[in-house]
Amino acid sequence: MDYILEGLINGIVLLVSGDEETYSAISTTLKVSTMSIIASLIIGIPIGFVLGYFDFPGKRTLRTISDTLLAIPTVVVGLLVYAFISRRGPLGSLGLLFTLPGIAVGQTILALPIVVSLTAGAVEGLDRQLKLTLLTLGARGRQLAISSLWEGRYAVLLAAATAYGRVISEVGASMMLGGNIKWYTRTMTTAISLETAKGEFDMGIALGLVLMLLAFAVNAALSAFKKRAAQ
Amino acid sequence: MGRFFKRTSLVLAFIAVFAACAAAETPVLRMATTTSTDNTGLLDYLAPLFKQDTGIELQWVAVGTGNALALGRNCDVDMLFVHDPESEEEYMKGGYGVDRKQVMYNDFVIIGPEDDPAGIKDKSVKEAMSAIASKKIPFTSRGDKSGTHMKELSLWKAAGVPVPEKEQWYIQTGQGMIQTINIAAEHSGYTLTDRGTFIKYEDNYKGNPPLVILVEGDEALLNQYSVIAVNPERCKEVHYDLATKFIEWVTSPRGQQLIADFKLLGKQLFFPNAK
Amino acid sequence: MKVLYELSGIKHRYNGRLVLDIPRLVIEEGDIVGLIGPNGSGKSTLLRILAFLEAPSEGTLHFKGMPVGSEGEPPRRDATLLLQDSFLLKRSVFDNVIYGLKIRKEKSLRKKAFEALKMVGLPPEEFAHRPWYALSGGEAQRVALAARLVLRPKVLLLDEPTANVDEASAILIKEAVLRAVKEWKTTVVVATHDLLWLYEVAKSVLNLYQGRIAAQGTSNLISGPWRPLNDGLWERALPDGQGILAVSPPSETATAILDPSDIVIATSPPAKVSAQNILSGRVTQMLLDNSGERVAVAISLGGVSLRSTITPKAVKELSIQPGQRVWVLFKATALRWL
Repeated sequence: MDYILEGLINGIVLLVSGDEETYSAISTTLKVSTMSIIASLIIGIPIGFVLGYFDFPGKRTLRTISDTLLAIPTVVVGLLVYAFISRRGPLGSLGLLFTLPGIAVGQTILALPIVVSLTAGAVEGLDRQLKLTLLTLGARGRQLAISSLWEGRYAVLLAAATAYGRVISEVGASMMLGGNIKWYTRTMTTAISLETAKGEFDMGIALGLVLMLLAFAVNAALSAFKKRAAQ
Repeated sequence: MGRFFKRTSLVLAFIAVFAACAAAETPVLRMATTTSTDNTGLLDYLAPLFKQDTGIELQWVAVGTGNALALGRNCDVDMLFVHDPESEEEYMKGGYGVDRKQVMYNDFVIIGPEDDPAGIKDKSVKEAMSAIASKKIPFTSRGDKSGTHMKELSLWKAAGVPVPEKEQWYIQTGQGMIQTINIAAEHSGYTLTDRGTFIKYEDNYKGNPPLVILVEGDEALLNQYSVIAVNPERCKEVHYDLATKFIEWVTSPRGQQLIADFKLLGKQLFFPNAK
Repeated sequence: MKVLYELSGIKHRYNGRLVLDIPRLVIEEGDIVGLIGPNGSGKSTLLRILAFLEAPSEGTLHFKGMPVGSEGEPPRRDATLLLQDSFLLKRSVFDNVIYGLKIRKEKSLRKKAFEALKMVGLPPEEFAHRPWYALSGGEAQRVALAARLVLRPKVLLLDEPTANVDEASAILIKEAVLRAVKEWKTTVVVATHDLLWLYEVAKSVLNLYQGRIAAQGTSNLISGPWRPLNDGLWERALPDGQGILAVSPPSETATAILDPSDIVIATSPPAKVSAQNILSGRVTQMLLDNSGERVAVAISLGGVSLRSTITPKAVKELSIQPGQRVWVLFKATALRWL
């Protein structure tokens, strides 16, 4: 049991002393997750809004597809994206494999169904009185759509936080698409899995602590947004 | 709505910054290598020196030799640093690689628990392999077509023992070398490893590891490392020029001296033998 | 007076069910129209049509002499509707109030918003920066009204504006609306159960029943089912066990009109009178009407509300007060059939 306690102490020492390798994994995770969350919001919010706001044929099917993709395994995304961005694949010329944008592509695909489904749900769940109120205050066309989305903003933030939680904690896509390259594409989760496999716990524990802290922050944000969304 | 647009432009600014990061100026050489060169820290030691000498950033993906060769076939890396002469030759024959050069060697060792239940200590490799098989003592295999795995398969063959593919005591980990040693230790079993990784493993346990070297020094256990550039005629996108630079550098007197100087626990891990 | 709204042959259906049927209705500029009627009688539907939020299934609607809906956008920015449940946008009080101005790209938002907040009795310094969720029901409804008054609307449509608010807010809302009428000649249509609006504010009252305008003015409407007694009398049972008597309804489900001036009020049970209806109830509200010559008294008979009008002198002599137990007397023949 000693080595667990020792690992915990060494882990904290790594964090406090600002160990370069540990902080490289932290900053890599933050960089890549920021890229993927921004991309998934930019793509996902308009799609989710259209799915939630308008009625058109095929809407149900699209919603079902998005809802099903919520549970897509990270390794399947890793495999599919790998096949596409490998230099032999159709998008090979972009040179994305084993780069941060490459991981971000995979993570964006993971986050997208969450953003789409939750945004659509949020927009559908807007009070019927909201539309009447906006109309009777004189809103038209685009103003109506933008104001509706703005009214659902806490629910959209909720979607973003949920998606972010999935993105920072996934390991499959990061490992397969990033290649776990030290200093470049080694994220917190791939570093933890590597260090544990090597039987070296210190850095794994240090990163585990940071990851849990992040998860805690995301969760705190979630409950704050939930509260606001309900008011 | 002004605020909305302000936010949007902020987001776009973010993307621009990341895009700029992605398109860094420094030339980057991407290599697929075996877990042994990574786990021992050899590449961590060489990469900054290589950059100092040439200005080229070395990035590597550490997988088994089999996977590394697959990455080369897919044109996903610029060069390979691997250790399975037989599959390397097949790879070269397939026209996937060019400029194959020997770089260094070390040797494989068979390790196991100190009490040695199969009684293989100081025996020949052939005798050791058949003893393990007949006594059905746990043996962990990489099982990932890595150089070490390919070597292990050839050892079974040489010992006249069929590969114990489906035996209960034969554990295929599908993971890297250090992981596989750890799993062998959990089962109090044997495994085949390159000496470099074992020294690193010993280091982790401060010189008092659960598994020790039982068989070594047999000619059959030689472990030869080579570098191969991915064939630029097949793969238009690879950085053949950078790969050539690395091959020249690592086989040059300076590169060879650096490898010889790389020590862990005061022990030399790799022996340069570039021709 | 200029004609503002002209409805002809309006029919409106929800899923095939007829909810509104108005052959003809004219509302003039500066009018203050009260809408009364039981729940589901079509008041809210009529308001939404007048607010151009819904287009009628049939018939034509003219606004300022122009047909609505045939081409182009409806003149939605001329009319604004205050919904029954105070609904605010998820932003500060100030942002709620200026929303309509902002989308109209108007200037000096702060000055206008502060004026509007003052109009509804909310000190701007105290309320402007409050978030939407830190308001009482009455305050929220006044913010919603301020968000409409700030637009200086040509038409202000109110759906039960004071049904769910405290009494102080109800008075402030009424005063703010009256000021809008006075200062900007705003036309008001208000659906309400509240005598305050019907007698103090409204210049005319429409009595809606099952989607139709059953009567003009504040007549009482008494709907079936009617049950035959002997002597050709029929009875409509009340929830408290009493019954209203009428003579020969055309059908069991017919609706009768009872004029408020036909109802006599007594403060003690009368001995012998010719009227067949002597019912006991409680005064819920009393109001002096616009002219100052009549007092409207609302009386609840076990949940059914009747309106009676009597003179101020009678009020003084009987010393009636809200909450007091009274007896209402009217002839069975005073009930006229629709």
